[in-house]
Order: sequence, then C-alpha cells, then structure tokens
Amino acid sequence: MTADVDRGGVAATAIREWRRIVSSPYLMLMLVVFPLATGVLMIRIFGSGAARDLPIAVVDLDQSALSRDLVRAIDAAGGVRVTSVESDAGRARAAVMRGDQYGLVSIPPHFERDVARGAAPVVTGFYNAQYLLPASLMKSALVASTATVSARVEIGRRMAAREPRTAALARVEPVTLDVRTLFNPHLNYLTYLATALLPALLQIFIVTMTVHAFGTELRDGSAGGWLASAGGSPWRAVAGKAAPYLVHFVALAFLMLGALYVRAEVPFCGSLPVVAFATVLFVAAYVAMGFAFVAAAGDLRMATSAAAFYCAPAFAFAGVTFPAEAMPAAGQAWASLLPVTHYLRVLVQQGMRDAPLAVSLPALGALAALALAPWPFLLRRMSRLARAASEKRAL
Amino acid sequence: MRTFLSAALDEARLVFLDAGVLIITVLAVVVYAFFYPLPYLNQVMKDVPIAVVDEDHSALSRRLVRMADGHQSIAVRAEAVSVSEAEALVRDGAVSGVLVIPRGFERDVLEGRQARLTAQIDAAYLLTYNTVLGGLLESSGTLSAGVEVARWRAAGASRDAAMRARRPIGLELQPLFNATSGYGTYVVPAVMVLVLQQTLLIGVGMAGGARRERAQARPQGGVQRGHPALRVAGRAIPYVALYAVNASYYFVFVPRYYGYYVPGSLRSVALLTVPFLLATVFLGFSLRALFSKRETAMQVILCTSLPLVFLGGFAWPVEALPQWLRAAAALVPSTSAIPAFLRLTRMGAGLADVARESAVLWSLAAMYFPAACAAEAIQGRKGR
Repeated sequence: MTADVDRGGVAATAIREWRRIVSSPYLMLMLVVFPLATGVLMIRIFGSGAARDLPIAVVDLDQSALSRDLVRAIDAAGGVRVTSVESDAGRARAAVMRGDQYGLVSIPPHFERDVARGAAPVVTGFYNAQYLLPASLMKSALVASTATVSARVEIGRRMAAREPRTAALARVEPVTLDVRTLFNPHLNYLTYLATALLPALLQIFIVTMTVHAFGTELRDGSAGGWLASAGGSPWRAVAGKAAPYLVHFVALAFLMLGALYVRAEVPFCGSLPVVAFATVLFVAAYVAMGFAFVAAAGDLRMATSAAAFYCAPAFAFAGVTFPAEAMPAAGQAWASLLPVTHYLRVLVQQGMRDAPLAVSLPALGALAALALAPWPFLLRRMSRLARAASEKRAL
Repeated sequence: MRTFLSAALDEARLVFLDAGVLIITVLAVVVYAFFYPLPYLNQVMKDVPIAVVDEDHSALSRRLVRMADGHQSIAVRAEAVSVSEAEALVRDGAVSGVLVIPRGFERDVLEGRQARLTAQIDAAYLLTYNTVLGGLLESSGTLSAGVEVARWRAAGASRDAAMRARRPIGLELQPLFNATSGYGTYVVPAVMVLVLQQTLLIGVGMAGGARRERAQARPQGGVQRGHPALRVAGRAIPYVALYAVNASYYFVFVPRYYGYYVPGSLRSVALLTVPFLLATVFLGFSLRALFSKRETAMQVILCTSLPLVFLGGFAWPVEALPQWLRAAAALVPSTSAIPAFLRLTRMGAGLADVARESAVLWSLAAMYFPAACAAEAIQGRKGR
C-alpha cells in the first residue's frame, strides 16, 4: 500500500494529465490550433505595420492652381489620400456619414487670390475624432501640407524681394521643433500593439484551459483518480497537473516571442534573459490563477465565468492603449492584479527601451507574487478534496 | 404555430431557468457597462512628465519651459544637465519625452535666424507619444507665433495685420464628432456592440450545450415535431426579446450615463438592431451544433473577442487589413455592426447612411438561418 502511494507523484500526475490532453481532440484544438491560429491572425491584422492612404475628401471652392497644389501636398504627406474632390460641402459630409471617408478639407473660395494678397485664407480640416488614429493621421497631413505650401509661397515672395532663402524660412517659422521618435521610430503598430496583443490573447487561453483542466475533474467526479495518481498528496496533485500546462504555454509564449521578434522582425532592444524569465513567471502566474478560480468557485461553470471576467477585458486595463497613469485608482488597482499588466511593462522596459534591470524589479516582483500567492489557498482546497476523496473510498 | 410557440417556450426555459446563461446574458451585460469603461474614465492624459535640457539659460528659453509646463498635456518634471542624462530618464520610464533648447536659441531668434528645438519622445505607448508631441508642438508653436507677431509689430504693422501676415495659409482643425478626443468615448461605444454580440453567442451556445446535456439525460421527449425553420424561428424569440432590452440599455442608458449620448434617430438604431440580433442569433444556432458541453461556447467565443475588436474598423482602419481578411471578417456580424452603430449613435447618421452595413447584416441573417435550420434538424433527430 505504501509502495503504491510512493509510486504516485508529480511525474505520474503529469503523465496522467498529458494522456488526458492528447486523447481529447477538443483540448488539442484549444491548446494548439486556436492559439496558433488567433496569434497568426493578430500578426496579419497588423502586418502592414502602419495605416496609410486613408480616404478623405476635399471640398475645393477655389479650383485654382494653388488649391490643386495643396491637394497634391496633402496626398504626398502619406497618412491620407484624397479620394474625392467635391465642389459641394454637403456631398462630402454625406460621404463621411456613410463611412466612405474619414474627414474633409475645405479650401475657401478666392483661396489663391487671397494668398497672393496676403489675406491669409484659412483652410479648414474637419476630422472625425471618433476614429482616433485616422484623425491624428489627417491632422498631421494637414499641418505638414499647409506648412509646405505656405513655405513655398513665402519663399517665392521673399526671394522676389531679394531676401535670402534662410531669412525667408526664419520669417515663416521663427522657431521649429525637430522631433525624434524613440524606441519605435516609425510608429509601427506591429511593434506597438501586436507585441502587447499576443500576450493578452495567450493569457485567455492559459486561464481558460487551466480552469478546464481542474474543473472537469470536479464536473466528472474524477478528482479521486487525480489525487490517487499523486499518491494522495495535494501539492503533488496540483504541481503534476500544472506541469504540462506550464511547459506547453511557456513553449507557446516563446514561439510567440519568436514570431514577433524573429519572423515579423519587430526590433528587440534589451535583455533576452530578463524577458525569458518574465515570460516564465507570466505563464506560471496565469496557470496558478486558473487553478485558483476553480478552487474558489468549486465548479467548472462558475470558474469559467469568473475567469472570463478576469481575462477578457484585461487588455483594456493592461495600460498599453490607455496608459495606467491616466486611469482612476480603481482601474489601476484592478490592473495591478493582472499579470499581463506587469508582463507587458517588462516587455517594454526590457525588450524595447533596454532599461537597467532595476527598473523592472517592481514588475518582476509583482509577477512572482501573482504566481505564488494562489498556492497556499490552492493547497488548502486540495487537502479538503483529498479528505473528501479518501472518505469516499473508506465508504 | 404550436411548433413555433413550444420551441420558443422550450428555449426560454433553457435561457431563463439557467443561472449560467443568465450570468452571461444579463449580469455580465449589466456589469460590463460599468467595468469596461473604468480605465478610460479620465478620457485624456494630462501632465505627462517630460524632462528639459536647457543649454541656453536665457529669458526666452525659460519662457518656453514655463509654457511647456503650463500646457495641460505635459509637465516639466526634471531639468537635466545633458541630453544623455535626459535620455537615461526616458529609458528608465521616469519621463516620456525630452525638450532640448540648444545654446544660442535666444540669440538666433533675436537675430532673425530660424531657431531649432529638438524633442525626443518615447513611442513605446502611442497615446503618451501623441500627448507629449501635441503639448510640445503647441508650446513651441505658440512661442514661434509670438515671436513673429512681435517682429511684425516692431516693423510697424497693426496687430491684426501682423497676425494675418504670419503665414500665407492658415489652418483650422475641427473635430466632427467626439470633440474632446476622449479615449473612452472612442472605445466604449464600439466595444459595447461587440459585448452584445459575444455575450449573445455565448448565451446561445451555453443553452445549446445545456440542451445536449439534457438530451443525454433524457433521450426521449421534448420538442421535435414541426418544421425546423419554425423551430429555429421560435427558439430565436427569447434571445431577440432579451437582447432588445440589452441593446436599449447599451444604446440609450449607458451613453446617457457616461454623458456621450448623441441625440439621433432611435428608430434607426432600433431598425439596425433587428438584423444585427437576427444574424448573431442564427450564427449562434449554427455554431452551437459544435458545442457539446455548456462551457465549450464560453471557452471558444472568448478567444475570438480580441481579434474581432481589431477587425471592427474603429481601433485599426479596415484599409490597413489584407483584402482576404476584410472579406472573411465580413462573415461576423460585429464587423458591420460596429461601424454602423458608431455612425448612428455617435455621429447622428440616419438609416440611409448605414444602408450598406444593414444590407450585409440582413444577408448574414439570411445566410445563417438555413444553417441554423440544418443544425436544428440534426439535433431534433438525435433526441433534442
């Protein structure tokens, strides 16, 4: 009897779990096929890296050489493309309402004449701020193109007055700002967003599948067999069950990093060992969380609902699209309970900015804490299960 | 009629007597309206910390630093002695940008040479980047305009003429909608449409799983008679009724609560909600044939949410998607529903403005209905 118990252990439980996984087509789908498919989908969504040539309309009420110059300059700025030049503002507005265009630019009547007279006519850009990214591309394109055409006009005027070109430039814009963009010089969305979305996607799979692994034992009444495979030891039972998922998801996470930094050529600038270490902690934290949900809820259904609430909106709280510092305290508090928040912080610090290790210690510490914190609770719960199972056997 | 009613009643039992389904289709729907907007309540970033490297130490450079600090988007948190020291602050994440005022800045301005400032901005977080960029551009632009106007006035022109002569072409930028560029106002109305779809799909799938589990327990009995089309129509009723309430909650109550309600035509919203719900319910009925257990639907649908957000066209322009992906994404109701509801509820568009999306949603409903009937016919034969 004791020999029997001794034979059980972490390895035996892990092997039992592994057999459960490979014998279930559904689990293979959720552990391998779907994570890979949705991951590839995410990379494809941002494959172009940047949004370009977004359609906008121009209402040209002047139809002059200069107004056409301006339209060409707007096109040349890159972010937007003038897909229609209207002479009627109503038609252009209707096109925005239909979603055909992201905004419209209005060039006033007598534009060329007024420029020549120095009357400084005003070009108006109506941008749709409901779409933030197209709005910011359109604004930059308009700022750049009106500045270019302005400078051209001004230089022409000054040089006719025999002023040197540099003086003309200084008159147009006495103070200029040269902007250097750090860490993601081309504002590439693959670098900015896909690197954050893939871990956010992965955590959904980790939690759902670890909840499933533990919860189905309760649903199907097979917890006794599970405990027996671990020789009746609660911690061996949990560790043995966790091990295959930890290994599998760490492998998937490394594959994800490879897909991003090697295959998709997202620049990596920082410390690979620290990122690798954080990745292991990230996966371990979510495996522990998944188990904790079942331990707390006591059944698969409730645990799945709770887990969904925990991981489905997590990306909104993770602080990438809307930074944590700008969130209200309650939002920040919730965000700090999500491992993905800390992991994405480490990815920025150690994969993008090449920051010193000390900068990442708080985030790494939080990840470690989230990976370890559920364990005492889990083990207590497993001991109760073990007692219940042994009582059942005694009957 | 009997078939239709008894199918509706049977499905209503699966939905309204099941705590698991109600948690998703009622509780989650209610709670998400408060939980999801939580991170975005402040709407915009303010006082993002930046560092300044002032190599000029002049009255003008100090004026610029004060202007930058006074801008609502940014706050001067550190004065670094060298560019490399400031760069280290960015790398550490202590500040998000650096403004460098070069030696000779004031002299260049006074002597009529173009003076060049440099900014280094952290692009790790794009919203932070844009906030800092906007703050610095506006601060330096205001200084530049002040310098130019002062020059013209020194030359004897009136203030008005000086303002006009500043630049040959003026530019005015006006937001059409979401005037404050609030982040919550941008994200929340779009995501709410997706929440409606996803909770509905999960609810339909869960009820389907429960139906299968019930069929395994009691293989005989239940609604099997009648044409599958009538049964599908009947089974759709409880969901359409429940989600009509949910939709009015998300399209009327929630926007009013957060103060981003745009008075528009509620009739148009209601008329678009019909094909959106029908397409989603029939898609759910077609999919649930694949879900053998109650929790399967949740597990599968959950992992599609994140990709679907970025196929909805609001966070990432559809123009930037590969063509095949745009075509494939059109098969999901949210892809058409998100932009259409955004235009109706946020931009004051009318039903005619969303005719294209409405046609797609009706086509999806028409396409998924036979698939739902086929799934229903198979389930009817198997028991129920």
